[in-house]
Amino acid sequence: MTNPIKNMQQKMADFQALDARDKKRAIGEGLINNAIYILLVIFVIYTYSRNPMFITTSSIVNIISLAAASMPIALGIGGCIVLTGTDLSAGRVVGLTAAISAAMLQAMDWGNRIFPNLPEMPIGVVILTVIIVGGIVGLVNGFFVAKFSLHPFIVTLATQLIVYGAILMFFMANGNNGQPLSGLSEKFKNFVTGTWFSIPTSSGKSVAVPWYVLYAIIMIIVMWFIWNKTTFGKNMFAVGSNMEAANVSGVNVFKTTVMVHTLAGCMYGITGFIESARIASNTANTGLNYECDAIAACVIGGVSFVGGTGKISGIVTGVLLLRIIFVALNFLSISGNMQYIIKGLIILIACSIDMRKYLVRK
Amino acid sequence: MKKVMAFALATTMALSLAACGGSTSSSTAASSTAASTAASTAASGSTAAVGDANVAVFYYSFSDTYISSVRTALDAALESAGIKYQDYDGNSNQTTQNEQIDTALASGANLLIVNLVTSGSSDASSAICDKAASAGVPVIFFNRAVEEDGSEGAVLGKYENIAFVGTDAPEAGHMQGKMIGNYVLEHYDDIDLNGDGQISYAMFKGDASNVEAIYRTQYGVEDADAVLTEAGKPALVYFDSSNADKYQLDLTGNWSAQAANEYMTTNLSQYTEANGNMIELIICNNDNMAEGCISALNSAGYNLGTGEDCTTIPVFGVDATDSAQQLIADGKMTGTIKQDAQGMADAIAFLAGNAAAGKDLMDGTDSYTKDTANNLDNKIFIAYQEYAG
Repeated sequence: MTNPIKNMQQKMADFQALDARDKKRAIGEGLINNAIYILLVIFVIYTYSRNPMFITTSSIVNIISLAAASMPIALGIGGCIVLTGTDLSAGRVVGLTAAISAAMLQAMDWGNRIFPNLPEMPIGVVILTVIIVGGIVGLVNGFFVAKFSLHPFIVTLATQLIVYGAILMFFMANGNNGQPLSGLSEKFKNFVTGTWFSIPTSSGKSVAVPWYVLYAIIMIIVMWFIWNKTTFGKNMFAVGSNMEAANVSGVNVFKTTVMVHTLAGCMYGITGFIESARIASNTANTGLNYECDAIAACVIGGVSFVGGTGKISGIVTGVLLLRIIFVALNFLSISGNMQYIIKGLIILIACSIDMRKYLVRK
Repeated sequence: MKKVMAFALATTMALSLAACGGSTSSSTAASSTAASTAASTAASGSTAAVGDANVAVFYYSFSDTYISSVRTALDAALESAGIKYQDYDGNSNQTTQNEQIDTALASGANLLIVNLVTSGSSDASSAICDKAASAGVPVIFFNRAVEEDGSEGAVLGKYENIAFVGTDAPEAGHMQGKMIGNYVLEHYDDIDLNGDGQISYAMFKGDASNVEAIYRTQYGVEDADAVLTEAGKPALVYFDSSNADKYQLDLTGNWSAQAANEYMTTNLSQYTEANGNMIELIICNNDNMAEGCISALNSAGYNLGTGEDCTTIPVFGVDATDSAQQLIADGKMTGTIKQDAQGMADAIAFLAGNAAAGKDLMDGTDSYTKDTANNLDNKIFIAYQEYAG
């Protein structure tokens, strides 16, 4: 763990000491290492020049809101990647917890309540429930990964299937017949998508920022604290970079692995809670493939599959970047097919740059 | 160096697998409803022949809302007919479904009821018919088309002992279009928020390749335009003039509320009443997408329901799911097209009863609407209905 500011000063000093040719090379390296951000800036400028609406208050608020919605899941999965693992069950856990939130918080006067006799639930209880449900799945993931040294890919693939089965059964329960769960209570909707604060625009109207942006910010702060300021966070990075070494130095590898996965599960629970109100119509496919975007966001943001490296700020950048691309392509009216290609290329470039650092170092 | 290579390879592999998570998840095979099978076995058949029936029902995906309603209705219908059955989940993968069919045939199924995954592919359906024919087992296809449009009879006219129960794919689109046309005509000035004499619409498409989605996207607008131009009004205008597709597509092909919601919030950040270019009409391929749009509109202060002081943008869907019906009752949604799940299940169960009793598959089906245009006696249509509360 190096201090980033000192690190930078050191780099700057090194840079000054170089001769002209080496300086040129260092700049080239710098450009390559930050290629993804440079491309992003070019992309944003291009979009703006084609459609000036891209940089307006309402558009920026929209990008931030979209990013906020997928922030908790990415923050959760980031920890698994730091441990050189991954989590394929994330999307389905989001689906399950979204369904649970919706079922518990359907409006009392809604005609098709899945549990008609359920009294009005306090929101706090629901949040706690989804965090626990998500946490349990995470706990199972972590236990099997740590206890039997199974690759997380396998374990989470298994739990993904199990959770999906549970979702399907949940939607068929109580005569619901797979109908979407909607008709959420106003209290719930306001709690998540209601207006946190409004930004007035020049046209006299105002743009509302939803509450879940605040929740995402809180999650970012909490996760930053956990990753950087707690023993558990330090242990996580130690286990991620070298499990043997961590074990020898007295880190409880088992406990750390289980806790990282459990924490991730809790994050998926929160994502499910937010998604439930944001989308307002929850089906068995809610949350499908969310893990793909979350993993992509993490690797773009420099959370490396090599393990032991990654920053919360990187994850936030990665999530924002994916959302900016989504919105920009819409503003440019480019067909969705291109979105896949661009996303794929960005992942490829980001990971290549990431690995290149390690290749150079070794 | 070796280690780094290993890492690089592992990373690439993990990523490529993660990126195609959709297909890795598709192996939830054959989640058979053991409980209901047991129940139906207990309710033993009325005749010896019916009791011998061993029906295998293949659904394209358990997660589909409408198909779930059909499944519940069909389970109940088969059970009450005393026919033993087993349900399979194809999980949106034709290969999975074919493997399930092989397994079912090997385990002695003597009637196949198939909800094809690759909708409108005669190759996929012929392959299944070939399997069934060699085992001497009849096949009832339902819901999703088994032939390409324009080549009616390529499968249904070719094989013996098969039938199709479904909808006339373009019909939902036609009905939705007419419904929209009539509604817009009636409320033209209310809908035209910016008063430019034109109605700008947004269209949300559920799947790039599904025949139903293609027809709904096409006719939902074309037929509405036909109604409008006939009455001397200008045709609908897509809200984003630079989008040549004239629709926004759920890239995952899931007809999902989430995709529609994210498109709609993004649209609303650019197209607003303040800018004078607000979207004035929303057409969705299904009710889930309509709900996603309504959620986005709600956040922007639209469609809050009857009795609220707000503008309501007309939103149209297809399916008439329970929640859509409720939304229409609450004044948040305008109209939808009902697919009759019960009617479809009853027709399928009737044919299954024929097969179980050893009668001809199409025995006594003259009262059903059939594809007379193409002279296909074994193609039964279940009609759509308009639903506006």
